[in-house]
Amino acid sequence: MIKGYAGRILEVDLKNKTFEFKPLDEDTARLYIGGKGYGARLLYDLTSAGIDPLGPDNVLIFATGPLNGSVAPQSNRFAVVCKSPLTGGIGSATCGGSYAYGMKKAGIDVLICRNAAERPLRLEIDGDNSDVKFVDASDLWGKGSYETQKILGEKKNHAVIGPAGENKVLFAGIVSNERIAGRTGVGAVMGSKNLKAVTVSGSRKLEMEDKAAFAAYTKEVRALFRDHPVLGNSMAAYGTAAIVNTTNARNIIPTHNFKYGHFDRAKSISGEYMADHTLVGTKSSCIHCPVTCGRQVDLPGIGTVKGPEYETLGLMGSNLEISDIEKIQEWNYLADDMGMDTISLGAVLSFTMELQERGMLDSGLQFGNPAGVSEMIKDIGHRSGLGDDLADGVKRMSAKHGGEAFAMHVKGLELSAYDPRGSWGQGVEYATTNRGGCHVSGATMYMESVGPFTINPQNYKLKSDLPYVQQNIAAAINSMVLCIFTTYGIVPKFVHEADPKSWKFRAAVAAFENSGPLFRWVNSIKGKPMLWFEKWLTLITGTNISSGHIQEIGARIFNLERMYNLREGLSAADDTLPPRMLNESIFPNMKAGHPLGELLPRYYQIRGWDSRGVPTEKTLKKLQVAV
Amino acid sequence: MRVTVEPTYDMSKVLGVDSFEVEDVATVAEAVEKARERVGDEFEKLSRVAAIAVNGVLVSHTKGMKTRLSDGDRISFVKAAAGG
Repeated sequence: MIKGYAGRILEVDLKNKTFEFKPLDEDTARLYIGGKGYGARLLYDLTSAGIDPLGPDNVLIFATGPLNGSVAPQSNRFAVVCKSPLTGGIGSATCGGSYAYGMKKAGIDVLICRNAAERPLRLEIDGDNSDVKFVDASDLWGKGSYETQKILGEKKNHAVIGPAGENKVLFAGIVSNERIAGRTGVGAVMGSKNLKAVTVSGSRKLEMEDKAAFAAYTKEVRALFRDHPVLGNSMAAYGTAAIVNTTNARNIIPTHNFKYGHFDRAKSISGEYMADHTLVGTKSSCIHCPVTCGRQVDLPGIGTVKGPEYETLGLMGSNLEISDIEKIQEWNYLADDMGMDTISLGAVLSFTMELQERGMLDSGLQFGNPAGVSEMIKDIGHRSGLGDDLADGVKRMSAKHGGEAFAMHVKGLELSAYDPRGSWGQGVEYATTNRGGCHVSGATMYMESVGPFTINPQNYKLKSDLPYVQQNIAAAINSMVLCIFTTYGIVPKFVHEADPKSWKFRAAVAAFENSGPLFRWVNSIKGKPMLWFEKWLTLITGTNISSGHIQEIGARIFNLERMYNLREGLSAADDTLPPRMLNESIFPNMKAGHPLGELLPRYYQIRGWDSRGVPTEKTLKKLQVAV
Repeated sequence: MRVTVEPTYDMSKVLGVDSFEVEDVATVAEAVEKARERVGDEFEKLSRVAAIAVNGVLVSHTKGMKTRLSDGDRISFVKAAAGG
């Protein structure tokens, strides 16, 4: 077995309460690494076209990668893959916490859950004895994600759902510690299988090809991270909430259901404001991660809990026109305990507020007014009253109540907190990403509108090349499974410290902006490993991995996911943006919205797809994507 | 002509306001000068790594400090950040 892998897949049949350990397929591991990529391969192969995402034929796959179980910073995440009940296409989400570490200690690379249990149950997986217990979970059914983990034992490694997953809220997630695999409704699929929790234990050690070199190099990387302006300073001080003021200044923070990109009271929901007013001393992190991006806040009557991330602040703050940080903190906790994605939740709440504003649906929810929101979050989690409609997400809400013109989703997945009208490459990424309106399948906005070295986000330069390269990197990183935040470290310290107003800086940006094909070519070179995640993979597995390999593997995963979506009935017509993004301008320098139609053809061409957005046979053959 | 200046969070702490308005400025350079007067001695330190945007568009992508302003424009000092 390739080093870095445990070498085992555990397949459980929840209906018949049987299990089987199978060997991991080395060829698949070489082609798709693990995590999201290996999971996509299994989903494609194990399911038939057209299955009901919430039926017993869907499979729920928990997948780790060769970096999991190591002490490399940001390396203990797991991926969940299944058919998404929200989009009907590929469903995938990754999550930190401690569960991935537990899986590898148990000697399991991948857990496949088939069928559905007849009654609520949970799994206790004992990796050392290769045993699985199917335990009745009726006593846990209905309990929140935090209480469930507390009952199961806080020192053990769990993946659990809350009431939202049990009630098949289409944007329910899976929780490990205080982190959540939030997107695409993976928690609803777990709930549809009557699976409340998975607990893993074991004492296996990760095998590496060159352990001493890995340890020495990881020490160097830790030092690099400690000294890095983002990974060492800003993330530790403010968490992801550090970007609220930046996206607001760039006119891309969602406001009033994405009608605007600027919120006058944004400073009151920013990371800096939280640091000054609401954060308590404790920081938190996923296991072995020195970045400590988790923030803690005190909630009256509850205690110290996780504070809101940027996406939550954007979607449930500015997007609802709420600047009361304590309310957002309360909603964040409620959503986490219910086990639901705060991005989709915020978007469906803002959509409902706009329906109210237009007299299309009387929910009582109004922009700028926190009244009724807490109750609605609980109603969504329990599918009570109108909450039952909101629990189906924005796409289905708009089909039922109208408002497609301002329904903010792509392929059914609600948009993240970056308005693509001020970040054109991010718009291409939203439109083409296989799981829908997602920001962590490329994070193009970092090089356009948020980071220290940003190109002009509103011209045609690099707007197809950048998402292509970034999506490939992200697909590979989410298959290792590493935190996507690691890519922030690629921009070195001296760039952060440079004056963006200087002519040298502007000249460098202009050169990058005009690099198009050269940028893609440089990234495609198969040479020696340069970046830390390339070196880690090389030192652990013994296979030389460079940026060219990362691009190739990432493109392979991306194209397999694309083929899965096409098989399930999605098409180029789904590679689009919400009408509001295409038709309404929020910038004085733009007459209309995002020019997606002018950018997609080049993107398809770069991808090796035909004009209908279908990967050509040549592309699939070159990338070794078997379909 | 009146435009709104939106300082960084740290500048706002010095000033005690989230934003402020300035009048009779035709270019970004003139508006920045007014901000410098208002913030005082700490302006250089607080603005060194901040870019400047007008209505969300960085002036480095337009005409720099010579970018002309219109009534009602919003001039923001932007600090790079990372999150997600």
